[in-house]
Amino acid sequence: MSATLSHVGRARRWPFVGEPVYEGSRIPPRVPTVLDVPAELTESDDILQVNFGPNHPSTHGVLRLIVDLDGETVVGISAVVGYLHTGFEKNMEQKTWWKGITYPERIDYVGYQNNELVFVLAIEKMLALEVPEKATWMRMLLCELNRIHSHLVYLGTSALELGAISMFWYCFRERETILDLFELVAGQRMHTRYFQAGGIAEDIPMGFYPEARKFVDRMPVALNDYLTLLDRNKIWLERTQGVGLLSADDAIALGQTGPVLRASGVDWDLRRDSPYLAYEQVDFRVPVYTGGDVYDRYRVRMDEMAESTQIVRQCLDKLERMEGEPWISDDRKVVLPPREELHTSMESLIHHFKIVTEGYRVPAGEVYVAVESPRGESGCYVVSDGGPRPWRVHFRAPSFAALQATATCSQGTLIADLIAIVGSLDAVMGDTDR
Amino acid sequence: MTARLRDYGLQSERLLWPTKGPSKFEEELGVEELEQALGITTLEKAVRWAQTKSMWPDTFGLACCAIEMMSIVGSRYDLARFGMEAFRSSPRQADLLIVSGRVSHKMAAPLRQIYDQMLEPKWVIAMGACASSGGMFNNYAILQGVDRIVPVDIYVPFCPPRPEALMEGIIRLHEAHQAGVPPAYERRQVAT
Amino acid sequence: MNDFAQIPGYVSAKDEHGETTVVVDRAHVREACTYARDELGFAMLIDVVATDYLDWSAKGVSGYIGTATGRDLNMPMTQGLQASPDAKPSRFSVSYHLLALRQGAPRLRLQTWLEDGQPVDSVISVWPAADWFEREQYDLMGIRFDGHPNLARLLMEEDWEGHPLRKDYPIGGEPVRFSPEE
Repeated sequence: MSATLSHVGRARRWPFVGEPVYEGSRIPPRVPTVLDVPAELTESDDILQVNFGPNHPSTHGVLRLIVDLDGETVVGISAVVGYLHTGFEKNMEQKTWWKGITYPERIDYVGYQNNELVFVLAIEKMLALEVPEKATWMRMLLCELNRIHSHLVYLGTSALELGAISMFWYCFRERETILDLFELVAGQRMHTRYFQAGGIAEDIPMGFYPEARKFVDRMPVALNDYLTLLDRNKIWLERTQGVGLLSADDAIALGQTGPVLRASGVDWDLRRDSPYLAYEQVDFRVPVYTGGDVYDRYRVRMDEMAESTQIVRQCLDKLERMEGEPWISDDRKVVLPPREELHTSMESLIHHFKIVTEGYRVPAGEVYVAVESPRGESGCYVVSDGGPRPWRVHFRAPSFAALQATATCSQGTLIADLIAIVGSLDAVMGDTDR
Repeated sequence: MTARLRDYGLQSERLLWPTKGPSKFEEELGVEELEQALGITTLEKAVRWAQTKSMWPDTFGLACCAIEMMSIVGSRYDLARFGMEAFRSSPRQADLLIVSGRVSHKMAAPLRQIYDQMLEPKWVIAMGACASSGGMFNNYAILQGVDRIVPVDIYVPFCPPRPEALMEGIIRLHEAHQAGVPPAYERRQVAT
Repeated sequence: MNDFAQIPGYVSAKDEHGETTVVVDRAHVREACTYARDELGFAMLIDVVATDYLDWSAKGVSGYIGTATGRDLNMPMTQGLQASPDAKPSRFSVSYHLLALRQGAPRLRLQTWLEDGQPVDSVISVWPAADWFEREQYDLMGIRFDGHPNLARLLMEEDWEGHPLRKDYPIGGEPVRFSPEE
């Protein structure tokens, strides 16, 4: 089995940046996701097999790792997932397109807007439905706020696991402000169900722009606080630098995307390279680091938070000039008519009735849409038979791919570093198990 | 019938050492007078008060509700004012199991194991719609309500419950316990 | 599109919604993937998805009300069960979503069709990322991947019977009662 992809970037041109983290490939030869105990150690009595059971002190959710330890060094690891398998894909085949939007949010329950977005974009792609500009910009704003939210949860919980417990409270303080903004817009802190096929569910309420501006002004100060607390802290640096190395070639071979890929020296971001929504109209930089370790993944996410704040600011500038514009498509076959019309127009009443009871129909076909969620490339593959319900929905979960890299990243590390590595891969178990 | 110390979860050496017989103190005072002398109803209330003020939860965050459970520990919805910010990782040290999130059939066995490892008195809060009844996932993979395998004291609805809603559930649990309502395993006859 | 005709096992190609789907023969899947990775430059395997088309054209579906070119409630054949989707070659399709890390982010979907019980070659030697993707499709759809070193159930329990995402597997759960008299 060839694990080195010799065709990939030997000339180290874009999208590769910097020197390789290590030469060759460290992907385990037999099974890529299982680190086997080396032959010379299997007969010795010193190997201790520890079960990091589904319920464990760290905050990753229900991930089970079966770890073989030689002293404190990890010599064998395999991951067991599926403790949160919910059967989303089968459930969504039973629900209409409109009602099904509530399901994808709960898959990646930390970056929930991105999952909603990808499903809604897939529906719109198959329907060839035009979305008004205001909705596009608002979706972008909310997705970037969600990115900041997800990275704050990552930072808080990662730092908590490494012992920097007070980061948890700082990050969650900013997170509460973001959730306030979501509640202001959609009425619900998490799982907002705000994105609809055709736009967004409701108009942007009054008072949103000043509140969002306050947040945008506050966020760089908060980020500075976090950097001050962590970045010059010797313990943090020693625990994260040089730990969990993953080279660019291995990352690509293992299907990694998102911050894990960008920290390994691959300059790849779907928002810039395959733009969706209105990302080609905003200025932002894509942070890329070349170390491939836990520290670089942390830095990528910190920089992404700063860039997302800039994107939110640009979206606010644009949205404030779009007062009074429509926020959802006016195609009544797909979108519910405004409630005032139901009193006066018979057609609107019929459309409302048909959409709610039977559901709008999406032409037969199959599409795959991908967005850059905080964890990487989150994709949705939809097959429609032309009816009111999807025939098959499949979500490409970035956390699923990220956890495949656990075995490669944790070769020869100590068990304490294993916690740091799994935290840096930022896997959400709902996303992994679907 | 006079209540005994052991009825309130307090072990005395009588139970730890069944064949010993009454202690010198009890022989002098007599068993009934001893318990009356200690003012047992106040003691019961005091014990319950102490239990409610430091009911440590177990880290059993499964899915989306776990994120809201984490935010209840945050500084805005401060759970430390109730003495509960110490989430114990070991069920042996925990009093309260907040089942936050959807429980799949694969996870049901570990859930029951964790519940069994907890020491009495113990309480269970089913947080969210998925833990209470299976929520929006009425399918092959999800346990339709965590009360099928563990006895539940408080059900907190919504998907996910706001931190204030979870706090309401926790406070009601505190009040119920303070008032003398026994934990669910005594009421629902589920094997402990 | 011309490049794709050189893929080993090429059967057909189509371009829909801006996406290219190339159907390859089941026996040549591994060669096709190797060709796609090495010659066409699709370095990253994004996803492996299996779809079950049991009863796909068994019952008709009301024709969709909207089309890409226009929406017309008066269009014929949109009322009643008249327009049924086209028949599919076999029961299962396995789609490999590939991505090339180049300007423009070109994507490709390699698709192969198979019946129940027929195995597919595992592409784990081409992209190690296929490990869990294939295990998941084996677990949920029952498609066997030959050459996979560790084809065990991933998401369901090890002793689970049946493959839940198949169309003949029931949704499960419990019946919902809306009134106490039932």
